Amino acid sequence: MDLKEEKDLIKKAKKDPKAFSELYEKYYSQIFGYILKRVANLEIAQDVTSETFLKALKNLWQFRWQNVPFSSWLYRIANNEIVNYFRKQKGKKVSLEKITEPISADNIEMEFIEAQEELKKHRDFLKAQGKISKLDMKYQEVIVLRFFEKKQIKEISEILGKKEGTIKSLLHRGIEKLKDEFFETN
Amino acid sequence: MEKDDLIRKLEEMSLPEIEIKSHKERLNLALMKKYYPERKRAEVFNIFKKLVPAGAVAVILFVFIFNNLNSPKYNLAKAKKIALENNEIKNWLQQGSTIKDIKLADGRAYVLIEPPEAKKEEKELMPANLKSEGAFQESEEIKENFRGALAEVNIKERKISNIEKLAPAAIDLIKSKKDKALDIANKSQEVQDKIPKEAEVLNIEVHTPKFRISNEGGSVSAIPETEAEEKASIIYQFDENQCEGKVDLNKERLEEINCLKEINKDATSE
Repeated sequence: MDLKEEKDLIKKAKKDPKAFSELYEKYYSQIFGYILKRVANLEIAQDVTSETFLKALKNLWQFRWQNVPFSSWLYRIANNEIVNYFRKQKGKKVSLEKITEPISADNIEMEFIEAQEELKKHRDFLKAQGKISKLDMKYQEVIVLRFFEKKQIKEISEILGKKEGTIKSLLHRGIEKLKDEFFETN
Repeated sequence: MEKDDLIRKLEEMSLPEIEIKSHKERLNLALMKKYYPERKRAEVFNIFKKLVPAGAVAVILFVFIFNNLNSPKYNLAKAKKIALENNEIKNWLQQGSTIKDIKLADGRAYVLIEPPEAKKEEKELMPANLKSEGAFQESEEIKENFRGALAEVNIKERKISNIEKLAPAAIDLIKSKKDKALDIANKSQEVQDKIPKEAEVLNIEVHTPKFRISNEGGSVSAIPETEAEEKASIIYQFDENQCEGKVDLNKERLEEINCLKEINKDATSE
């Protein structure tokens, strides 16, 4: 889907829930994956992803197309929601059970356990994420977007709404700080 | 660990590609359930967003107009305009009178009209050979009949509700000023020539043609301007005749003396 098609789909999504569902299908995995790489916790990742898409739905009618992919907007909401989540210290959780018909609890639990087992296999990632999470949010954002999401500087600058020079500098300082974190542990 | 090693390590790291399908489905259902209520909320918000600037502009305009229509400056100008539309006042102004002051009180305006005193002073200062009786005849005539007026303007109804014509006011002088006025008059040649020594001084007071608007004690009225006029009038009585001497206290001189009956100089000197 090119930018023009995406723009049309967003326009349609403001009137048609099916079009919004299409956007959701397209970006759910990407946003959930990003949040998981930021928080390294499946439960938190689910909550923050739910908050992110609910916020996106709430603000869809105020969304103005600026020749930037829709995903950049979703990433930005996700970043805010991650900050909010940790600020509130797991304060307000989105309980999907309250707003949807519960799917068989056994299946959900089974799927969740399998996902956790899968996550545990990525020891290096969990170790690195543990170090990254000790940095300031501004460094966490750029490092995860650059190295785990494989985003270009330009894309990161679009997502965070900062100049490319600022992103480079944040990345440089973030790596230095992360290096110190690794050094301290070793 | 070197910086490049760390970067390489991060770039080559095996990352979790996990998806929890049940969460994805449940979230999708939740979003679909919320779609229409959110759209409705957004529509209401958009209407409100459009109305707020319009409402703000309306409020600002209302405040601006209200303030201006009720500002003293506006009401003074309005009162003046109403006064100028009145034929009687228009007539006085055309003949040289001026609006001296306008004051607001209790939703009404009070306009003080002053006779052409300035022109008279001008005339007095002109050299005798340049004085033309005709040129000042009109204003002198006004002065004879018109000593000023206080017009009450009903701003709300846009009309003059009352015009009070003012009479020259007499102000009593303090003893020291009375003595000074009498001394100046008695030392003048004219008084010595016309007024016999046994003449009785009936009264010494100041007649002022100048007024000001007073808003004391809750009622508005025109009161004599005591500081403006420093001309005393002395009334002498003798032999069934009365004379009035006018003394300028500032210039310390007798200005004129007028008597009811013509004085026979020889008779008085006898």
